[in-house]
Amino acid sequence: MKLFDARALRLIAAGLVLINGFFPALWILLSSLKTEAELVSKPISYWPQNPTLANYVRAFNDQPLPHYLLNSALVAIGSTLLSLAVATLAAYAIARLNLKRRQLILTCIVASSMFPLVTLLVPIFETMRTLGLLNTYTALILPYTVLNLPVCTLVLVSFFQGIPRDLENAAMIDGCTRLGALWRVVLPLAAPGVFTAGILAFVNAWDEFLLALSLNSSAAMRTLPVGITLYQGEFAFPWPIISAALIVAIVPVAVLIALFQERVVGGLTQGGLKG
Amino acid sequence: MTKQGWLDRLRDPSEKTLGLLLLAPAFALLALIVVYPIGRLIFNSFYDLRLSGGGGAKFVGLENYALVWADADFWNATRNTVLITVITVPGALVVGLALALLANLPFKRQWPVRLALLLPWALPLSFAGLIFAWFFHTEYGVVNDLLRRVGLTEPTMWLLRPPLAMAAICLTIIWKTSSFMALILLAGLQMIPKSLYEAAEVDGASRWQQFWAITIPMLMPSIVVALIFRTITALQTFDIPYTMTKGGPGNATETLAMLIHKTTIDYLDLGYGSTLAVCMFVLSMLVTALYLRRVGQSA
Amino acid sequence: MQRRFTLATALAAAALIFASLPALAQTQLRVFSGGQNQRPDLMRKLFDQYQKANPGVSINIETGGGTSELQRQYLSTVLNAKDSTIDIYLIDIVNPAQYYGAGWLEPLNAYVGEPSVALKPYLPVYATSNVVDGKVAAMPAFADAMFMYYRKDLLEKYKIAEPKTWDELVASSKKIQAGEGRSNLQGLSIQGAPIEGAVCTFLLPYWSQGKDFNDASGKLTLDRAAASRGLQQWLNMVDAGVIKKNVAEVKTPDTVNEFKAGQVVFAINWSWAWDRLNDDADSQVRGKVGVMALPAVAGGKSATCVGGWQWAVSAFSKHKAEAARLVKFMAAPEASRFLAAQGSLLPTSLAVYTDPEVLKAAPWFKDAAKAVVAGRSRPMSRDYGQVSDVIRTTTSAVLARTKTPDEGVGEISSRLARVMR
Repeated sequence: MKLFDARALRLIAAGLVLINGFFPALWILLSSLKTEAELVSKPISYWPQNPTLANYVRAFNDQPLPHYLLNSALVAIGSTLLSLAVATLAAYAIARLNLKRRQLILTCIVASSMFPLVTLLVPIFETMRTLGLLNTYTALILPYTVLNLPVCTLVLVSFFQGIPRDLENAAMIDGCTRLGALWRVVLPLAAPGVFTAGILAFVNAWDEFLLALSLNSSAAMRTLPVGITLYQGEFAFPWPIISAALIVAIVPVAVLIALFQERVVGGLTQGGLKG
Repeated sequence: MTKQGWLDRLRDPSEKTLGLLLLAPAFALLALIVVYPIGRLIFNSFYDLRLSGGGGAKFVGLENYALVWADADFWNATRNTVLITVITVPGALVVGLALALLANLPFKRQWPVRLALLLPWALPLSFAGLIFAWFFHTEYGVVNDLLRRVGLTEPTMWLLRPPLAMAAICLTIIWKTSSFMALILLAGLQMIPKSLYEAAEVDGASRWQQFWAITIPMLMPSIVVALIFRTITALQTFDIPYTMTKGGPGNATETLAMLIHKTTIDYLDLGYGSTLAVCMFVLSMLVTALYLRRVGQSA
Repeated sequence: MQRRFTLATALAAAALIFASLPALAQTQLRVFSGGQNQRPDLMRKLFDQYQKANPGVSINIETGGGTSELQRQYLSTVLNAKDSTIDIYLIDIVNPAQYYGAGWLEPLNAYVGEPSVALKPYLPVYATSNVVDGKVAAMPAFADAMFMYYRKDLLEKYKIAEPKTWDELVASSKKIQAGEGRSNLQGLSIQGAPIEGAVCTFLLPYWSQGKDFNDASGKLTLDRAAASRGLQQWLNMVDAGVIKKNVAEVKTPDTVNEFKAGQVVFAINWSWAWDRLNDDADSQVRGKVGVMALPAVAGGKSATCVGGWQWAVSAFSKHKAEAARLVKFMAAPEASRFLAAQGSLLPTSLAVYTDPEVLKAAPWFKDAAKAVVAGRSRPMSRDYGQVSDVIRTTTSAVLARTKTPDEGVGEISSRLARVMR
């Protein structure tokens, strides 16, 4: 009897999580199969009356969606890798080395995220222009790395701090350099943290809008979030087509998350909460 | 003490040198991207720089700050921002923790639950706002439709009543950001050794006791990290209220970031906008300094 | 060996120079021409025509965000950074004063002539909104105005004539709504969301009473009682069931979508609506749509809001003369005729309204002309961003009933008195 309760509760719990996560995505998916007229019908319809793929066709025809996908992917992957690299080094220094002003350094890194991006936009634009980087992948990769640096650094600091020093010390006694110990011992143990930071950085970069709008305005370098707003017009907001484009935008990220969630949750330590 | 050549120091660096080397990339990036903008921001806050006046800057010292102090819109926006922060930070923490614990349960196939966990985070922020605005629409919204089916015949005008609009906005923010919290907490849960739970089980501790005695304390570093960023971003809330209500009705749901955006982009008042941004920074700093001290101390 | 090297280098250098010569001689102009609703596809055709006639010029179109908000966002970043990549941009009718004040656009007097000459061919409203301090700030691209669309078939069915006053409209709506018996039939659909169109929602009943929002010098001349009455008029219609209760949620496309679905009798909207209502595949009201000038308040005059888009040359452009020439071309009556015939974009000069080619493509322009000519422009102010924000958010709040009309008008008055002096 006890076992049944536990299982039923677990299923209900799972159900709640699934509804919470999937409902809006499901709504977008269903909207992408409807016509615009159906969306103003009363009472509202959930299931499309005549499911149509026309919106996807329109979405791909009106804008070079695959091209935007590629741009977004390159920028997001690039900035994620760079963020992780830079953040790992910085986090190791803060967490492990006895630097005098550790606290201050960490505060400075985190403080850089305390200014609203809209106020930093024009100077960043000017910087990129001076460097001749407007409308390049670098123009977005560098700021995104900086935007993600605080989160990645702080996450990694907290994970590095949670790993006992003895393992590294053992490795170093065996002849490893500090950086070697970082690479061979600490990072594998902190894998959940690394993949978490990676996912956060990737999704942040994938969804970023303001900088992408201003810095990479040419059609060739446009990213997905900016591209999706172009389906709108001054007077038109074609929900079905935009929904189709949103599905195209979400699916890669969802796939990525599904693939990497194993890495986040299945670390090499004896982790896991009893169910 | 022997004088080490710099090449020798690179090969076998002291802690200080190593520290500098490891931190150099981070600081180089920060210097390139944000130091100049932040510097200019602070500089501009001491000037009357309104483009409508022709774009010429006039030095006014701290007058902008005095204006902010006396500005009813600023206090309104700050109040709304603090309200959103106070509601959504603990809200996202509680929901995020629940989601993380649930996602960590042993299911036969883990990926659907974990994907459901992280999907809200994957939806671009501005579109999340638009979609939830649609959900809360008086006529075409799912919320009113569900309420209608359970008998409430008079449709609620969610986004047109300040308290309801605020509730809808907070709900949307919690929905979106609990995913962020859950992600960090889930990773943190993985670092707790199972042996601790097994030992506690042997000692006869109930699940509830295990939760409070083991899970929460061991999860504290992750909780603090998640709280810091949730708080910083909560104070900067912009996209969701902007897309859901545009700060309306009136300015009942206008946040500080929206006020800054309006002042900078619509009013073209760069001096005052910069001042507001500096004030927001000070607010963020005050709140998170407390958190950071905690993180810096634990070793 | 060395000689061969030098010769090869010299030949290569010469080849490079020759190859790049045409590129050097060609002027590259970049035009920011807004989003979908500003028809970049038609603009592209006009640019192609210009390029053919002017081989030394090549034109690239740049599209920013889809909505005017996002475009404003993008332009403000680029122009604040004094960027020279964009030579020409398309701005809303309400922007020239603001952009001129910010030093973002190049006055065109030297290129198109003095205002009295340059803007003479166009509708009178452009002579006011595009001229700041005696300088031509921008040239008209295409016009727009708000019209009253209505269900011709329903008015015929109940034998009602086109209402000339708001009271008549209310009576007509009530009769039709009662007769049709459907609970979701709206009498009148207006835009109450805090969008730019809400500024028009505020001004229409105000102007109709014969009042001015500001004088020629830009000073605020708000008649608070009249403004209050105007807002109260809308609220009375909500109470009478003519306008729906959640009017503060209604944006421009919502009105059109609902009209298309047959849920609306009267609707105020811009000129784009005509094509949507009559040509869209999912429109249930095709052939049943009438268009007329807006009703007046009792004892007042009909007034409508004018919109439209203008070409401006960037103050930071490196090819100002060439850009101004292109602007002159794009603002010419021939271009206007093209846009009207191909895209049903309202012409900017009266003569084009009666052009046979245009009338063939859009017969309703004949009646539209009267309304557009009588149309008024929103307040011209260097602080238009602030003016618009105050009016639209307050109007929306009043329509959402979180403020009374008097409170709303009081707020508009006190906030804008400082700005519009």
